[in-house]
Parts: sequence; C-alpha cells; structure tokens
Amino acid sequence: MAGFLDRLLERFKIYREPGYYKRYDYWWAMVVDLDRCTGCGACVTACQAENNTPVVGEEESGKGRVLNWMRIERYVEGEYPDVKVKFIPVFCAHCDKAPCEVACPVYATYHNQDGLNVQVYNRCVGTFTCATYCPYDVRRFNWFTYKDKGSFESPLDEQLNPDVTVRTMGVMEKCTFCIQRIVAAKDRAKDENRKVRDGEVIPACVQSCPSKALTFGDLNDPNSQVSKLAGLPAEPYYLRESGSKLAKISKNPRAYRLLEDLNAAPTIIYLKRVMKGSSTIGHE
Amino acid sequence: MKRFLLYLTVAIITFTIGYNINLIYFSDRAPEQPINFSHKVHAADNSIPCLYCHIYADKSTISGVPSVQKCMGCHKIIKTDSPEIQKVVSYWEKKEPIPWIKVYNLPDYVYFSHKRHVKASVPCQRCHGDVAKMDRITRQTVIFGVPFLRVSPLKMGWCLDCHKNGAKEFIGGPVRNGTDCWTCHK
Amino acid sequence: MLNRRDFLRVVGIGSAGAAAGFALAELNAPNPARLIPYLIPPEDIIPGVANWYASVCRQCGAGCGIVVKVMEGRAKKIEGNPIHPISKGGLCARGQAGLQVLYNPGRIKNPLRRIGERGKGEFQEITWEEGLTILSKNLKELRDRGEGDGLYLLTSPISGHLKLLLKNFMNAYGSSKYFAYELINYENLRFANNITFGQNSLPHYDIENTNLLLSFGADFLTTWISPVNYSYAYGHMRQGRPGLRGKVIQVEPRLSLTGANADEWVAVKPGTEGLLALAIAYEIVEGGYYKGEDRGKWLAALERFTPRDVAKVTEVAEERIIGIAREFSKTKPSLAIGGENVSSYENGVSNLVAINILNYLAGNNIGISGGIIPNRDIEKSSFIPVNSLMQDASKGKIKTLILYDTNPVFTTPGAVKVEGQLKNIPLIVSLSSFMDETTLLSDLILPTHTYLEDWGDNFTEPSVGYPVATIMQPAVNPVFNTKSVGDIFIHLARNLAGVFQKEIPWTDFGAYLQASWKMVYNKHKDMKEIRETTFEEFWNNLLSKGGWWKEESQAGKKVYISVNKITPYLPKGPASFDGDDKDYPFYLTLYPHSSYMDGRGANLPWLQELPDAMTSVVWGTWIEMNPERATTMGIKEGDVIEVESPFGKIYAPVCLYAGQRPDTISIPIGQGHKFYGKYAEGRGANPLDLLPFKVDERTGAVSHNSTKVKITKTNSPGRLVKMAGWTKELGRDIVQTITPEEFQVKEG
Ligand code: SF4
Ligand code: SF4
Ligand code: SF4
Repeated sequence: MAGFLDRLLERFKIYREPGYYKRYDYWWAMVVDLDRCTGCGACVTACQAENNTPVVGEEESGKGRVLNWMRIERYVEGEYPDVKVKFIPVFCAHCDKAPCEVACPVYATYHNQDGLNVQVYNRCVGTFTCATYCPYDVRRFNWFTYKDKGSFESPLDEQLNPDVTVRTMGVMEKCTFCIQRIVAAKDRAKDENRKVRDGEVIPACVQSCPSKALTFGDLNDPNSQVSKLAGLPAEPYYLRESGSKLAKISKNPRAYRLLEDLNAAPTIIYLKRVMKGSSTIGHE
Repeated sequence: MKRFLLYLTVAIITFTIGYNINLIYFSDRAPEQPINFSHKVHAADNSIPCLYCHIYADKSTISGVPSVQKCMGCHKIIKTDSPEIQKVVSYWEKKEPIPWIKVYNLPDYVYFSHKRHVKASVPCQRCHGDVAKMDRITRQTVIFGVPFLRVSPLKMGWCLDCHKNGAKEFIGGPVRNGTDCWTCHK
Repeated sequence: MLNRRDFLRVVGIGSAGAAAGFALAELNAPNPARLIPYLIPPEDIIPGVANWYASVCRQCGAGCGIVVKVMEGRAKKIEGNPIHPISKGGLCARGQAGLQVLYNPGRIKNPLRRIGERGKGEFQEITWEEGLTILSKNLKELRDRGEGDGLYLLTSPISGHLKLLLKNFMNAYGSSKYFAYELINYENLRFANNITFGQNSLPHYDIENTNLLLSFGADFLTTWISPVNYSYAYGHMRQGRPGLRGKVIQVEPRLSLTGANADEWVAVKPGTEGLLALAIAYEIVEGGYYKGEDRGKWLAALERFTPRDVAKVTEVAEERIIGIAREFSKTKPSLAIGGENVSSYENGVSNLVAINILNYLAGNNIGISGGIIPNRDIEKSSFIPVNSLMQDASKGKIKTLILYDTNPVFTTPGAVKVEGQLKNIPLIVSLSSFMDETTLLSDLILPTHTYLEDWGDNFTEPSVGYPVATIMQPAVNPVFNTKSVGDIFIHLARNLAGVFQKEIPWTDFGAYLQASWKMVYNKHKDMKEIRETTFEEFWNNLLSKGGWWKEESQAGKKVYISVNKITPYLPKGPASFDGDDKDYPFYLTLYPHSSYMDGRGANLPWLQELPDAMTSVVWGTWIEMNPERATTMGIKEGDVIEVESPFGKIYAPVCLYAGQRPDTISIPIGQGHKFYGKYAEGRGANPLDLLPFKVDERTGAVSHNSTKVKITKTNSPGRLVKMAGWTKELGRDIVQTITPEEFQVKEG
C-alpha cells in the first residue's frame, strides 16, 4: 500500500521540489508581438490544418462548440468615430502553475519535462473540469465524433496529418505547441547527436504568420530568439514560480503576461501594442 | 430474487472475462495472407537480413513492406515455377500492389518510431518474435500446437516496462523521457 | 451458502457467459488493416517522411511562393516558401486553405455534357475523348464557316506561360477575343498610375521602409494586391527597425482590418476620398512644402480644394486635414496609397490620381526607398469591360464561349443579368474545377486540375522591387479525372491540326513549360544573368527553389508630373451614387471578404469557420451598421433587415460595429452562392445583387461602391453566428499598450 501511494505521489514530489525544472533540457515558450499582429487569422487556419481540427458547421458554431485551438480576440473600445480596435491571439499558455492540471481527476493533462502542458486524449474521460479551471478559455471539447458527422468528408480526409490523432467524442483538446513538430525536431537532433537548435521547431501558427508576430523557442537558452525578444536574463526560472512578475526581470518594457495576477505562470509572453493615447503601463 | 441477482452478477463477470480473454490473447491471430509468404524461408534458410526488405525501418517511423518490384528483383529468376511466386508475378503484371494484411497494428493515437528503436539496436525479434521460425507471420507463440500467449502484447505496460527496465540492455539505462505520455502518444 | 445445485448453476451460467463474451469479441474483431506496398518504390520517397514541393499559391493574384508537404502522395499542409521574396515564409488564411480546394468534395469528377435544359443542372458523364471531340468539332465547324472570331475566351487575369499559350491558341484560331474578368481588379489603379507616373502597371509600394503611410481605403493587410507581402512589410515597418516605428493613417468610411491596425482613423464620407486627397495636396503646396517651380500652377489647379471647403464635403475637420498634410510632408519618407474602396467608386480613377500626386508633391516619394518604386512596364492586360462582352452576347456575336477560372454570373452586379445574356450563346464550355453559377449554365464541362496538381508559372507584377517568377509544379497526382487547362488546349490544337500543330507542337503542358523556360534560360544566359551552366541544372534549381528572382533593389527613376496634363483627371466633386438621398438614406460600401475574396473561397469549410477579423461572424453574410444609428431605428444586433437599392434587395442579419459611419452600411462580398458545393450553397446573401451596372469604359473595372440603399427591419428569421460575445476589456488589461512616446523613450 505504501509503495503504491509512494508511486502515486512520485510525480507530485517531482513537481514540488524547488527548481525541479532546471534538470530539463527545454522550456518551450512563445513570444507574441502585438504591435506586429494584425489580427488576420492566418494562424488560426494554419493551426486547424496542422492539427486535424474538425470543422463543426454553422449549427454547432452557434452553440459555441468550435474546436479551433487558437483564436483572435478583438476588443472594440470607444464610440464612433474614436474607435480603437485591438487584437490578441490567444492559445494555451502552457502555464507552469497550470490550474487545469490540478483539476483533472485522471491525470489526462499534466506538465511534461519540456515545460509543456499536455493533454493525453486516450486518457481523458471528458469531465470538463480542466476547461472550467482554465483562465484563458482555450480548452475545446469534442461533443461529437466529428469525423463521423462528416467533417472530413471524402476526399477531405486525405489531408489529415498522420502525425496527429483524430480525436473522438468526449475528449478535451487544446493547443499543444504543435508537439508533433517538437517530437520531429528532437528526433532529428537525436540522429545528429545534438540539441534542438533555436528556430528549428516552428509551430504551424508561427510558421504561417505573415507579419512575423509570433516567435517560438526555448527559454532555457539565453541566446534564443524568444529569450532575447522577451528581454530575459539567463536562467529565468523565477518565472515558473507562482506569484512571479515578468516586469521584475524582463528588460523589454513591452513584455507582459496575460492575466499575470492569476498566478498561473503562463509561458506565452506578449509584447504590448504601441498605441496612441492609451497606455497600460503602471496599471498593476 | 437474491439468487437471480447472483446469477446475473456471475454471468456479467464471466462474460467480461471471456470477452477480454479473446481480446487480449486471441484476437488477430496469424491471418491468411494473399500470398503464402514464408519468413522462415527468407530470413532463416536464406538468411536475408530484415532491413533488406523492410528498407525504411532505420529511416522512418514506418518499417515498410517491400515493393512488388523488390520481390520481382529476385523472383524473376528464383523459383519461378512455384505457384505462390506465380501469384506475385501476376500482381506484377497486373501492375497491382499485393494487399498484405497487417499483423502488428497500433492504434491511431500511438506514435511509434521504428527508426528510434532500430538505431538503439533493439533487435526486431524483441517485439516481433522469432520471425525466422515462422512460416506464416503470427503474433501468437505456439505451445504443443496450441496458440498461446502473444509474442508481444503491444500494450502500454509492456512498452513502459522496456522503457524503464529493459532499455538498460541497449542504452545502459532507462529511456530519457521514456515515460512521458507524449513520447509515445500523439 | 450455496448448495451443490446452485453451485452447478453458477458454474453453468458462468461458462455460458464467458463463452458468449468470447464469441462476441470474436464477432466484433476489427477488419484487418491492409499493408499496401508500392509497386515500384519512388526513388525519393520514404513513407512516413514528408516531401516538400515548392509551388505558387493561386488563391488570389498575389503569387505567394508556397511549399506543399506531401506524404505518401497526399498533400498534408501548405506553408509559405521561406526563401520566396513575396511570401517570405508567411501565408494568409486563404493560402492555407488551398488544401481544401484540392480535396474538396464538391469538385467536378468527370467531364460532363448537359442533357437537360440549360441551368437545370442535368448533366451526363462523358469521357475526355468525347468531351474534347465535341469541342474540337465545334471549333472546326466554326472556323470552316468563317466565323472564327465568334470564339470567345474569358479567363481570370492569369499570368505566365499559360496566358501565352492561350494567346497563341486564339491567334492560331483567328480569334482576337481573349479576355479576362475579375471583380476585384487593379485596372483603375494601373490606369491612374499610367496617368501619373507614365507606367501602366502596379508599382512596388515600399511599406516596409516608410515612416508614414497614408492609406485611402487600402485594406492591404487582407485583400489588397499582395496582402502577405504587405503584412510582412507592415510588421517590419512597425517593429523591424530598432528606434524607428512607422505610423499609419487610414482614411475610409468603414474601419477595415487595416484601419484597426492604423494609428489614426479618418472616417471620411463615402465618395469624397479624392477630394480629401486634393485638400491635403492644396495644403502641401500652399504651406510651402512643395518647392517645385510650377508651384503657382499647382496652386491654381487646386485652388477649389481648400481644406475649409473640402472639410464640409468630406466631414473631416479642417485642422485635421491641415495636420495630416503637414505630417505627411514633414515625415520622410512618407507614402500615400489608394485602395480597393477608393478605386471602386464611379470616379475611381480620378480618386487614385489625386492620391498618387500626394506622393509627388510631398517631396517626391517616387523612386525612393519607403515610397513608390515604379515597376518595369508589363504587357497590357486584356481586361474586358463586361458590358461589351454582354453586348456581343446579345448581338449574337459570340458563337462559342470558353470560360476558365471565372464566375461572371456570381461576380458581376445584379443589374448585368449575365444569366439572360448567356442564353444567346450556342455553346458554352466551362473549364472549371467546381460547379459554380456560371458552370451550371454551360453545355460542356471539362474539369480542370487545381493548382496543386498542375504545372504553371506566375510572373508577379506587384513585385517587391524586382521581377519575381514563381513556378507551379504538381505536388500530388490528380485526385479526380481532370486535366490541366494547358493540356486541354494542347489537345485541342492536336485535334484541329494544321497551323495549330506548327504553333503548338508540344505533347503536354509540362513539356511546353519546360521549353518556354529553356528560352528564358537562353536569353538570360546570354545576358550573363544566370549562373547555372546547363539548363537541366537551372530547371532543377527552379523547381527546388520555387522560382527565379534576382534580389536587387531597383532604384526607380524620378518622375515629373505636369499640372496641365494631370488636371483633367482630377476629381471634380464627390463620387455619384444611384438612388436619391431622401428615399435611400444609406451609402452602401461593399468590400471583398478577407477569406472568400470575390466569393471563390466560400466553398472551403476552413474559411467558412474562420471568424471574420472585425466582427467574428462565421458561416454567413452580415450587414455592418453603426450601433447608435441602429438604436435610433429600433434595430438590434441579429435582426434581419431588408436592404433595398434601386436595383434589387437582399436580406441579412445586422451586426453592430462601431467602426462604421452612421450614414453608411457595409456588406462583405463572397456569400450568397446558389451553386458552389455544399459548404457555400444557400448561405447568406450576395450584395452584388444590389448594384447598378457601372463600368469605367477606359479600364473595364466594375464599380461596386455606387449606390445608396434604404433599410427596413423585417421579421424574417435569420441567423448571425458570432464567435465573440463580448468586445470590451472591462479593465482586465488584456491587450496592454504603451504610447508611441513611451515606446520611443524606453526603446530608444
Ligand atoms: S492556458 Fe489553460 S489549458 Fe493551457 S496550461 Fe494554462 S490553464 Fe491549462
Ligand atoms: S497570423 Fe500573425 S498577424 Fe495574423 S492574426 Fe495570427 S499572429 Fe496575428
Ligand atoms: S495572399 Fe493569400 S491567397 Fe493570395 S497568393 Fe498569397 S497566400 Fe495565396
């Protein structure tokens, strides 16, 4: 019995150990430059194409059941003619203190050694708890097996990416940072006996962005593009603690994390949009 | 009434056991292939190495079945009078591929790379059994003429066991990140 | 406890249960999967490992270079070609959705011949041999009767060697009637550029390096000319130059996606953009920012357009006009562009001319980095005013009409009534991959390859400052029984024999393309512009790189614009609109939907489900209305309204949008298909039905901002599916911002 309990608690112990993450090779993260992002939505379709996300149709869309893993939020402030529209792409932030992870009764979502919050579809029983816990509302639920409902009607199914499974009814899904591309890059790196290079892993959304608003990389590497853009010092492990404030260590005045006060320690770092007559600097 | 419930419970339990015994130990037994191909003849009697035919095993996730052209490469000359070979020839002449039946099948949500395992010099036999002794490829071991346990159950516990313990034999320790779900799931 | 009898019963039931379970599992056993080997393994393909083929996107005319991921013969993903100078690795949503063009369930699978009445949609499958014979017999007869000029060919504005081939074919046949039509076109812009800069082409707008971009209704981030390239340029202009951040001012009645990204929005009254440009020009000259000798002449020409007078018409404050003029001339380099919205008024050309001269007056932004770099002259496009085509049709001049990649029934204003006009044509042949409104009316349908299955090339005109040619190669084998357009014409030539054999001797389009490129190679080899020593090497590089270009910036030549020459082209007053102000109180501006363009993307489910950037509406048409104005009229979001113009009416739900002038409503073009596959059919409304038929005779461009409308609330059911329920931040600091000043201080 004790042995069983020990085993059960093992993973918790690992994650409780202070600085456990220093042992790991990568810490994947994304930087989103809101001053470059135009809100065009190319990334959304790219993600859908890469990850076999079904199209749910008008009826289901109306019920809020779209499955797109990422979305562009738009905020329209002010009255005509002083209207300001702001866009922000939102995807799973792969939070280091992810609320969704503590929620799952069957451990179908957990943090892996690369700093990713991953979802194990064949383990998920569809309690929906994680989606209610996620502060960023990025988890998507399969209300049906859309494959059977004709979402990939032949020959549309020829396009399905063989590296990504097609999810079935009752399963929660979400942005994976295109983990299949990470796996492929690591596989390549292992063949050549090296670490994955900066810029070698490019998730579908990042790849497609025409204005180059998105950057993906490894925060463990102080020379990676993401570390530089986010203005982070070497070993920014502090960001993985709850209660951490990006502004404390970042040299880039534009860097911020979405809803940081919730203490989920998200690994997506946004760069503020430069906009006339409005500033959110100093709003704490 | 009480008795009836007892019967019902027993029936349900045994039904489940029976169902699962079939599923776990007996399903997809050696299927009959379109051509009576013998691994024994090829791999044992003629000692052709596995990678001679399964050419992608060290390059890709998929090991690959030999193309009909590859078969014909040898069988243009060898054993052309055997009726089985003539079947191959007829496929070749019809310009049709041979519809082999898959024996080792993984579910859609599993990511398995032949390359990684071959490169770590895990012998093919470790998972596929002693193919060189099989006339028809099978996943069952045979004891006294009766099909018995699987060569490899292809179940998660079995994979993990090797990732944790068995791997020592090949890479001197457990597989790095070998128990992370996303190492093998997709 | 159990007695013996019970025990036996339990055992009995138990074994029966187990046996039943076992048997059921046996019955349920999945069908065995098959392992299908290659017959002959392709040399460079490893199953499970992707191959990438470089090609070109044909979802719009921009010509972005793409790479297609192919695994085991199936296309899996399209991405921007990272080394291509136009796409720079990026791609828009339409480009991404190209895979659903290829694998669309609505594709025409076999050649078809009409058996029922025209338009009834009754077709019979025939073989290619039969189809091509029908057509070549018809062509032969036509020519034998001496009516060769009765063969009309209408395509989309294609470029590259395919165009050349079609031209050769038509020449050999003896018909001069090869035309192009597209609703969203740049003919007005070309014409205006010819007037101002003396070049009938699209120049390179160097958005990348400009410091102030003054855009008049150019939605360059979604649909205008080369959106992917301009998006890249935009990103670079904003954040790619340390210490420098370009500014964007957007002038348009409806806040577009580009407007939303701009720093300032000037909500000008529809149809007066040209006047606003002239007022800015006046201020530039008057304020002494223009230093040319002919300053006096300019002042005289522009004197009617003082900011004070123009302010009244445009409803833009006088100070604001003056402010923009000063900023525009002081900031160097600055760039003014006029887009789709401006060019599709009835006086589109003069608006564009007025905007063009701003670049000249404000210190000659022409030919410099960060300004306008004129393109090399290109061959004049054979754009046809649809009205003359329709006249020819009604006069019975068209004997046989071949259509390729164009859908005039859907994309022309309702008032044209193309459907009726086509009745007079004895034979209509459609070369199309999809059953659309026009194809439905044809007698013979020869299904074509999509761009992922075909050979081809693309010469990009709105280049990046230097010529770019992109190669299109088949990434996958044809999915259906279709043919390449080029092959169809080559086959026809073979059937027609005679001169055709001499003009078009090739066996297939791929061979033709290679032969043509050999000529290009030889020519440029002599000019020492090609390093490769053999053609084979050149061709292989072409295919692996995706095209041929030489990166060098073309310093454009300076231009001189003479006042006298330009004055007749300047706008005289606001654009005119059909429908008087009393009965029809709203201006109607139509814009190409960012995903469906002129409607061609509406059959792709990914695009249907991609929320519209501004309103987040999916799967339908909506009408954008100013919220306050709507409230005064008692209209709520989602209410279906009737929009009526003097020419027609449509119904669609209202979407309240604060970026809309109170006197204007806007509707996206693209939905309302009657026949276009199951994802598009019967969805939304086609706002083109509201339009009068106004064409600029000089350019052939159809004006789609040309009528006023009235709206009435109805009770008809309709549905507005919006993805975003709420668009207020409520102090949550979601999209955080800093001001330009703070940015300069902190970064600089
Ligand atoms: S963003 Fe949501 S789903 Fe993603 S890790 Fe954080 S809490 Fe979990
Ligand atoms: S593709 Fe890039 S610019 Fe477009 S919405 Fe996505 S992040 Fe923004
Ligand atoms: S802009 Fe989009 S649709 Fe047009 S060519 Fe480029 S990727 Fe294709």
